[in-house]
Amino acid sequence: MPDAIKTTDVSKRFGGFPAVDGVSLTVRRGEIYALLGLNGAGKTTLIRMLLGMIRPTSGSARVLGVPVGRDRAVWAKVGYLVEGPTAYPELTVRENLEITRRLRRLPSPRAVDEVMERLSLTPHARAGTLSMGNAQRLALAKALIHRPELLILDEPVNGLDPAGVVEIRTMLLELRDEGVTVFLSSHILAEVARLATRVGIIHGGRLREEFAAADLDSRVRRRLLVATHDNDKAREILAAEGIETLAPPGRQAPNPGPNPDPDPALALPAATPPDRVATVLVHAGCPPTRLAMAEEDLETYFLRTVGAYR
Amino acid sequence: MTTEIGPALWAELLKARRSRLSWISALAFTIAPAVGALIMFVVRNPARARSMGLIADKAAFSGATGDWPGYLALLGQMVAVAGLLVFGMIVIWLFGREFADRTAKDLLALPAARESIVLAKFAVALLWCLLLTVQLCLLGLAFGAALGLPGWSAATAADGLARVLAAAFLTVLLVTPFGLAAGMGRGYLAAVGVMFGTLALAQVVAALGHGAYFPWAVPALLAQVAAETRQAPGPLGYTLVAAVGVAGVLGTASWWRRADHAR
Repeated sequence: MPDAIKTTDVSKRFGGFPAVDGVSLTVRRGEIYALLGLNGAGKTTLIRMLLGMIRPTSGSARVLGVPVGRDRAVWAKVGYLVEGPTAYPELTVRENLEITRRLRRLPSPRAVDEVMERLSLTPHARAGTLSMGNAQRLALAKALIHRPELLILDEPVNGLDPAGVVEIRTMLLELRDEGVTVFLSSHILAEVARLATRVGIIHGGRLREEFAAADLDSRVRRRLLVATHDNDKAREILAAEGIETLAPPGRQAPNPGPNPDPDPALALPAATPPDRVATVLVHAGCPPTRLAMAEEDLETYFLRTVGAYR
Repeated sequence: MTTEIGPALWAELLKARRSRLSWISALAFTIAPAVGALIMFVVRNPARARSMGLIADKAAFSGATGDWPGYLALLGQMVAVAGLLVFGMIVIWLFGREFADRTAKDLLALPAARESIVLAKFAVALLWCLLLTVQLCLLGLAFGAALGLPGWSAATAADGLARVLAAAFLTVLLVTPFGLAAGMGRGYLAAVGVMFGTLALAQVVAALGHGAYFPWAVPALLAQVAAETRQAPGPLGYTLVAAVGVAGVLGTASWWRRADHAR
């Protein structure tokens, strides 16, 4: 069985600007593949190329084994949501879905009822009056109405409240269990960490990294954190004993919030034995008030990978 | 791939039925024969016309005769000139709304060919415009009968109404490029600009006496020839109108198929 998505050195330039630059990626069947990137990184352009909405400047893309643009029949097996939810505002939820059902040549009108039930949609509400969350549900319903083999979702949980996010996450996991392949772009990294089986990081149009979500553990940076009542003194004590302390981050993560860490800590390489650190500091009269192993989460790893945080 | 337009036609008809433009266009095509009837009333009642000042002047300026041939010719001119605006707005709305509401992307990766959606939109535009024209004709007959206009005969009515319908059909062909403009401009604004520019150009070219060779002036000339036999459009004019219609449909379909839909 061919891969769900395969791009080979695919690029797109708008004028002289490389929106997507030589991206080669493979999404295997049954995966939830998350493409992470900042705004303008090239996520949406790549997704539009996968859906045949934009022609690549060079390279090629295949969806479910079919070269994009060769056979429109493949779209019968693909559901998608691109750049936010949209619907005809003057029509009801049911009418919007009925249009999708007919354009997708689905014979059974039951498809509309089933997908409305699955996404808890109110049939007679006008689409123009829906909340952001319900508009997102309607857009997902349009993507799911034909029970696709492959779902391509651009920011699927944008605008949803926490309960909605959990609901969509649960639904995507159910779909994966049913054998549906999901390719999603997101900047909500906590969601991606919970959902994805593989992760790609795109920045400046280039695919910077690609890894199995299970391997994140082996990629993240760990540090031993040591807090004392006098961290400057502790640093000198440790240095005198030949224990290296790491420089503070050159650039802080954006918006540290109104309550900065009340217990600032020194960072040491993860391999430093914590028992030795504790012994040295206690004997020098500067006992640790906190000694902990800290590891990056996906967000920090992502920001470090794209150079937004060191 | 299927080019069957049935589902797309159903969708476009539903959207058209629910749009405010359907009511606005129907209102415009109610006002037009009413204004025509008012002009007939003024022309047939010169004593009252003098007391009505500007309206009387305008009625006189229209050059209309106060009888059935004159009234039907006036309706034909209204379809040709006001129709370019109203029919143009209909085509611009049918295509431009997909960009204004950002729904175009939902039409691009479907098993159905994009051309089927474009053809369905033009088919609905044709049906919509012809229904408006029929409405205008029926109201015109009612208003003309209520005024008791002289010069009625079945042959006169058939000739006048056929001319109105022909002007409407030619006008529908001439507004198809506005669908392409709505796509290329990704919304209403650019297409509306193109429409007003075209209308202004048609007026200028017709005033210079070359209207028979400028497609967008041809329907108005066709409608006028009942009253005045000047600048009658010939085969070249009609051929150019047909060419504009075909080019508008093919150009729009080609744009939807080939353009980069990055927004």
